[in-house]
Amino acid sequence: MSTWARLHFQALQGAFGRLAEQPFASAVSLGVLAVAMALPLVAWVALHSVGAATAGLDTEPHANVFLALDATDEDVKRVGDALRAHPESASVRFVSRGEALAELKATTHLAELLAAMERNPLPHAFTVRLRSADPARLEPARKAWAAIPKVDQVAADFEWATRLARWIRLADRVLAAVAIALAGAVAFIVGHLIRLQVVTRREEIEVSQLVGATAADVRRPFLYFGLVQGALAGLAALALAWAACAWVAHEMSALAPVYASELKLVFLGPIELMAVLGAAAALGWIGSALAVGREIRRFSRAG
Amino acid sequence: MIQFSQVAKRYPGGHEALRGVSLEVAAGELIAITGHSGAGKSTLLKLAAGIERPTAGTVLVQGQNLGALGETALAVLRRRIGFVFQDHKLLYDRSAFDNVALPLRIAGAGREEAGRRVRAALDKVGLLPRERAMPVALSGGEQQRLCIARAIVNRPAVLIADEPTGNLDSDYARSIVELFLSFHQVGVTVLISTHDEATLGRLPGRRVALAAGALVPE
Repeated sequence: MSTWARLHFQALQGAFGRLAEQPFASAVSLGVLAVAMALPLVAWVALHSVGAATAGLDTEPHANVFLALDATDEDVKRVGDALRAHPESASVRFVSRGEALAELKATTHLAELLAAMERNPLPHAFTVRLRSADPARLEPARKAWAAIPKVDQVAADFEWATRLARWIRLADRVLAAVAIALAGAVAFIVGHLIRLQVVTRREEIEVSQLVGATAADVRRPFLYFGLVQGALAGLAALALAWAACAWVAHEMSALAPVYASELKLVFLGPIELMAVLGAAAALGWIGSALAVGREIRRFSRAG
Repeated sequence: MIQFSQVAKRYPGGHEALRGVSLEVAAGELIAITGHSGAGKSTLLKLAAGIERPTAGTVLVQGQNLGALGETALAVLRRRIGFVFQDHKLLYDRSAFDNVALPLRIAGAGREEAGRRVRAALDKVGLLPRERAMPVALSGGEQQRLCIARAIVNRPAVLIADEPTGNLDSDYARSIVELFLSFHQVGVTVLISTHDEATLGRLPGRRVALAAGALVPE
């Protein structure tokens, strides 16, 4: 092993050793850190589960124009032209009955039911992107389109979806703010714990410097101590969040069939798990770097 | 080996510990630094060991100018110089073995190699049977020896001792002096400060007297 690797390995080993020296105090501080990290994790999982369940919703202002079941290809062309010519329509997309059926089979669990039907029960339809979501402008357009011959129904029920998307964005932002605040708290807590460590090991630091320890040598064990604490707390936080989600998911699975099968808890994927662990370790490292930097500067001034 | 030219050291707060000191120490030399307490002996030794930097003049240690070295280079230089502190500077939360191992651990020595060298150093000062003892369980003389073991564990070319026989009874003081003489005999450059006449009497070689921070002409 090279000297460099050995120095780092010893620092890592020392960090675990110090945690084991005072198991109760270590457990308490790791617990505090883990709870602080678990809170935004649980909120994140909840939000992304809602996000996943509603991802299929079209939240842009739009109207669906359904044709009568007996509409011919000519009718389709005529209605399409009329819709395209209307000043409120930004774009028009035609969804044939066949496409609509295929989509329904693919995205819901109605496939068996649909297969049992002799004929396709769905009409041709147009999806019209609107230039505005303003109800005052929408209403005349809706009436005009409904009056076109062979148009059966005009549905503009995007409003609740738009509102939901806006709520999710708001919650996302609140969550981000809370997560940043708690990340700051984690760095400060680790920093404080490290500062206590530095103060209690003041003599060791002083003597080490006298016999040839560089600033990096002095800092290294504390940085590893912060890193290890951050990583272990991150691991504990993931376990906590997972346990909380498993508990909630149990209740939700009982509810899901009543609403939609898409409603289920989406826990973090492997990449996100690694990212959380990495971020937790980084926070520990940053917290201890801040604390040690300050304390060492204070020593040098004193000495 | 060590060269002082027109060195002054003023501590923050204004106390001038050394002024206009010029001194050359050849490799393998044994030098006794004498003077009353407060004459600047400790400051001179700390400068020679790279623990302090001069405020004026230049100090060359093994060809390196202390004033021009960065913090890291200065720390690394300290590893090549053994220093026996007046107040021992032992760590009381770990065994004799671990105290001596500290400089090796800092330098990143391997466990086996370190163990061998720590035991050799402890053996040299006669403390090998007490390697597991905590410093508080050692007598004053034994603590002094432990400090010497830590100073020599890196096999330095220069060994510096600040009042190594202060507070020791004469028998113990004699054995400590003999220890330093044995290092001198194998070619180590040794600087010892003392204000104890009996210790001085046993030290052959050059004497350097300090008074009020300046060298006293011979």
